[in-house]
Amino acid sequence: MAQRGDTSKKVILGILIIAGIAIPFFTGNFIIRFFTNALMFAILASAWNIIGGYTGYASFGNVVFLGIGAYVSAVLMEKGGVPFWIAFPASGLGSAVFAVLIGLPVLRLKGHYFAIATLGVAEAMKALVDNLDITEGNSGIYLPVMNLSVKAQYIFFYFMMLGVLALTLIVTYVMLKKKLGYGLIAIREDEEAAGSLGVNTTLFKVTSFALSGFFSGLAGSLYAYQQGFIKPESVFDVGVTVKMIVMAVFGGIGSLLGPLLGALSIEIISEVLTNYFLVAHTLFFGAIVILAIVFTPKGIMDIVSGRKKFGLNYLLQNIRDHRV
Amino acid sequence: MVILEGKGITKVFGGLKAVSEVDFVLNQGEILGLIGPNGAGKTTIINMISGTYAPTEGRVVFKGMDITGKKPYQIGRMGISRTYQIVKPFPGMTVKENVSVGAMFGARGKELSAREAIEKAEAVLEFVGLQEMAEYRADDLNVASRKRLEMAKALAMGPEVILFDEVMAGLNFSEIDKAVDLIQKIRNEGISILVIEHVMRAIKKVCDRIFVLHHGAKIADGTPEEVLNDETVIKAYLGRRYKELVQ
Repeated sequence: MAQRGDTSKKVILGILIIAGIAIPFFTGNFIIRFFTNALMFAILASAWNIIGGYTGYASFGNVVFLGIGAYVSAVLMEKGGVPFWIAFPASGLGSAVFAVLIGLPVLRLKGHYFAIATLGVAEAMKALVDNLDITEGNSGIYLPVMNLSVKAQYIFFYFMMLGVLALTLIVTYVMLKKKLGYGLIAIREDEEAAGSLGVNTTLFKVTSFALSGFFSGLAGSLYAYQQGFIKPESVFDVGVTVKMIVMAVFGGIGSLLGPLLGALSIEIISEVLTNYFLVAHTLFFGAIVILAIVFTPKGIMDIVSGRKKFGLNYLLQNIRDHRV
Repeated sequence: MVILEGKGITKVFGGLKAVSEVDFVLNQGEILGLIGPNGAGKTTIINMISGTYAPTEGRVVFKGMDITGKKPYQIGRMGISRTYQIVKPFPGMTVKENVSVGAMFGARGKELSAREAIEKAEAVLEFVGLQEMAEYRADDLNVASRKRLEMAKALAMGPEVILFDEVMAGLNFSEIDKAVDLIQKIRNEGISILVIEHVMRAIKKVCDRIFVLHHGAKIADGTPEEVLNDETVIKAYLGRRYKELVQ
């Protein structure tokens, strides 16, 4: 079983890598832009997976890291005249530092309380940025324009997003092989037992939150630079958090490639639906998400990787395991 | 030589004095039994040693160091590991991964890489006799194996003291005998052990000394012979029928 899962995992990964590198050379600007956006959500969903999937702390405020990343880049580049290559890593670090400061109090909460607290943090940051002078409040802030042709810009941002996604997945993969990964999963499975086995739970949870923040912050920086103009409402939008969680759950939380698969399939499904049903597409989209959760509650990754066979048995097993 | 000592430890929950001024001593290489009726405060004592609760009063001393009020993970790394009465496996992990976590973060954890810790976990599984279930998910195990997994996790930490909280509850006779053998085998490794247990045949077989708790206070302390024939202990815990049954 495991053998078969491993091989098909490798095949999927190979196809994704080749397709990922080839896409911008064979398609037009619209498709490149579409996939750049999908890649951003793949980063956000994969970063959410570190804290929400592996550590078991369902953050409902992860968009705050995107927003901080975006605003760190915007303020540094516009007000400080800092070049992008410095603003970009600074955005990741800024979000990571914020994750540490916020994580220390908030990660003491569990379950629903943690979810609501993180939701509150994101909303509070939106209000703060809305009212600060340095961020130019709710009128939004412009970023310097990139000195490249339109096509070159599209390709640049596409590969930057792809690079950050690859970094996120590689770091997560390495983490899972190391003590950090074992410690995080132990915390998810039983935090008290993890503590008595010698896991410094506070340190591990904060590290996990900071990693999640770091990669989301990098994505935020790229998003802001590509947009050229950002507003608090767009980069601190709760809807973005909901979307990344839906993608992670749809693909399979607590699996390495699940959130990536979830992000790509959800972006593609919703794009196709929008093309065919201009008005009612969200209705069909909702139906698809519901069906997916009912039939594969642990994500489509289980089916795609061949770990589980799709069918009546799997459905019945899911009903036994996850309901009542 | 004394390895672990409680000096006048007291725990108050609201208006309830769960444990009141209990002194105990665990000697190097000894198996010390802790018995008493339900609600006597036995698990609270383990929780105070392992750092889950800070004692309201009194001190816990390990190898001459005051460890009162330290965090559970710090105490675990110093060399005291514990099991839980209501077992706490990591259900989504395999048995081997469960034990590996203990090896990675326990007293010897700093010296081991993740890979070495997994190798150590395999050795521990062999030691406790769970090697055939190494790849099972922890929530697929039966009660006896779960209790054994708890012991394996504690043992993998490389501790000097292990606190066993009712590792035999819910087991049948042959499983109890196996658990008794395992506890003795662990002691032969040079580890000092504190056991909470209700199973008298196991307590008598395995313990060097016993102390008895009743309503949070220590009412007896001594060899199994002395304690199990003590009139107050019989009145508070064992009951008169026990004496008749034994004779």
